[in-house]
Amino acid sequence: MADKGFRSFLDDLDAAGELKKVTKPVDCRQLSALGEQADQATIFENIEGYPDWRVATALVSTRKRLAVAMGCKENRIAFEFEAKSARPIDPVTVENAPCQEVVMEGDDVDLTSIPMPLMHLFDGGPYISGTFAISNDPEHGTNVGCYRLMYRTPKETGIDLVSPSDMRFYYQRALDKGEPLPIAIAVGVHPLDMLAASYKAPIDTSELALAGGLRGEALEMVKCKTVDLEVPADAEMILEGELLPIGWTADEGPFGEFSQISGDVKWNPIFRIKCITHRKNPIFYMLQMPWENDWLAAPVTEAAGLQALRIASVQPVDIRAPVGSCGYWSLIASIKKRPGEGKNAVAALLSVAEVKFVIVTDDDIDIYNPDELDWAIAFRVQADEDAVILKGARAKHIDPSVKSWLLGKGGLPTTAKLGIDATIPEGVPKILYRRIKNYGRDRIKLEDFE
Amino acid sequence: MSPLATTLKTSLETEARQFHDVVDDHMDVPWQEFLQAWGELREIDILKRDDQGAYYIEKS
Repeated sequence: MADKGFRSFLDDLDAAGELKKVTKPVDCRQLSALGEQADQATIFENIEGYPDWRVATALVSTRKRLAVAMGCKENRIAFEFEAKSARPIDPVTVENAPCQEVVMEGDDVDLTSIPMPLMHLFDGGPYISGTFAISNDPEHGTNVGCYRLMYRTPKETGIDLVSPSDMRFYYQRALDKGEPLPIAIAVGVHPLDMLAASYKAPIDTSELALAGGLRGEALEMVKCKTVDLEVPADAEMILEGELLPIGWTADEGPFGEFSQISGDVKWNPIFRIKCITHRKNPIFYMLQMPWENDWLAAPVTEAAGLQALRIASVQPVDIRAPVGSCGYWSLIASIKKRPGEGKNAVAALLSVAEVKFVIVTDDDIDIYNPDELDWAIAFRVQADEDAVILKGARAKHIDPSVKSWLLGKGGLPTTAKLGIDATIPEGVPKILYRRIKNYGRDRIKLEDFE
Repeated sequence: MSPLATTLKTSLETEARQFHDVVDDHMDVPWQEFLQAWGELREIDILKRDDQGAYYIEKS
């Protein structure tokens, strides 16, 4: 079997001192609140009413744990993602798979036998939040994405397909023919696979090969039991079924969104499940919103930022998408600057997806230190020269400040973007930024006087 | 319809309630049993939503 699986990642977290094990009995209605309070990733080993199951959560809800998944230092995540995603490895098909050790098919399908939690106060029901969703289109091939599932009945869930995505496109094409869209959902895969699934790749790009590149080994896939799709062999659980050709007609949500806001009721398709397979003694993965979603978004945004800077011929030194902006709406970068490149960098980063706030600094600023950033903004920025405002750019409905409710049904919002060039202005001598340094600091040590 | 599903139906015919309020009323019921009863209401397609996302059932 492959080296990198969900369980091997739990072992990696444990070895790094980042995994808490809770052995006392826990009810599914308690899981979310408990997971939110833990300062480590957490595995609940005794789930009331579900003796065969364990539940794991908050696996990548900090940058440190994401670095464990990537196998690199925290400030190298974006660079690792960029380098590895450039070397995709195609998946391979295997015959036997742990994810099919137990099979529930037809009338035996029962979602209530899975410990689905009620996660947030205003959620419309229990959710399966951490999914690796696979679909296929005869023309465009296999697609993988992440889509939340809301419990409806023992054989049905809602699925959020409101936002533009490849699976939504596939579903629309099937719907136009009056046909269901077969899909398969894997739960409990390595975070690198989740990163690949959340990557907004061009429609003909293989997320499965991207996952292989991030892993450094081919993702092993197995054929589903009831639909013509393949799923990751080492997943904890698989849901096989189809999106019914009913369009966007079933209520779904609210759910605690990745924007850290409780969402609205949405109208979405229904996922009817034909088969559930899972490991013996499976582990249910409760992706903790918003933090795990946001930390999974950050490397993707950061890598896009690096790419934009390189296309603009600007040399990046460091980059981060702060989790306060959900790893999605802001980018902060330091660069090795030549004259004028502060503005080039701002323009390049503002072009990334829905990023709406950018700060660019010189490479002497530690962009992970908010005091350093404040200092650079205070002393290297003139608002009339170094603030760049870009009006009328593409936006996301989920941002309340774009007032998308004023647009009417189907209206697409726009936003204004702000970039700050906090590099040393051209014409200002660098000597004026010489930092205070204590006399004798390099040779006089406090420990010698204790 | 199971006794629990009948109880849920009666409650939602009386007033619109958020899902968590319905859950809070039945904390003594095993989670799987609760989900099965909720699924019964979904299967007969009688659950409606108000503009706050609360569930209700129109009296027949």
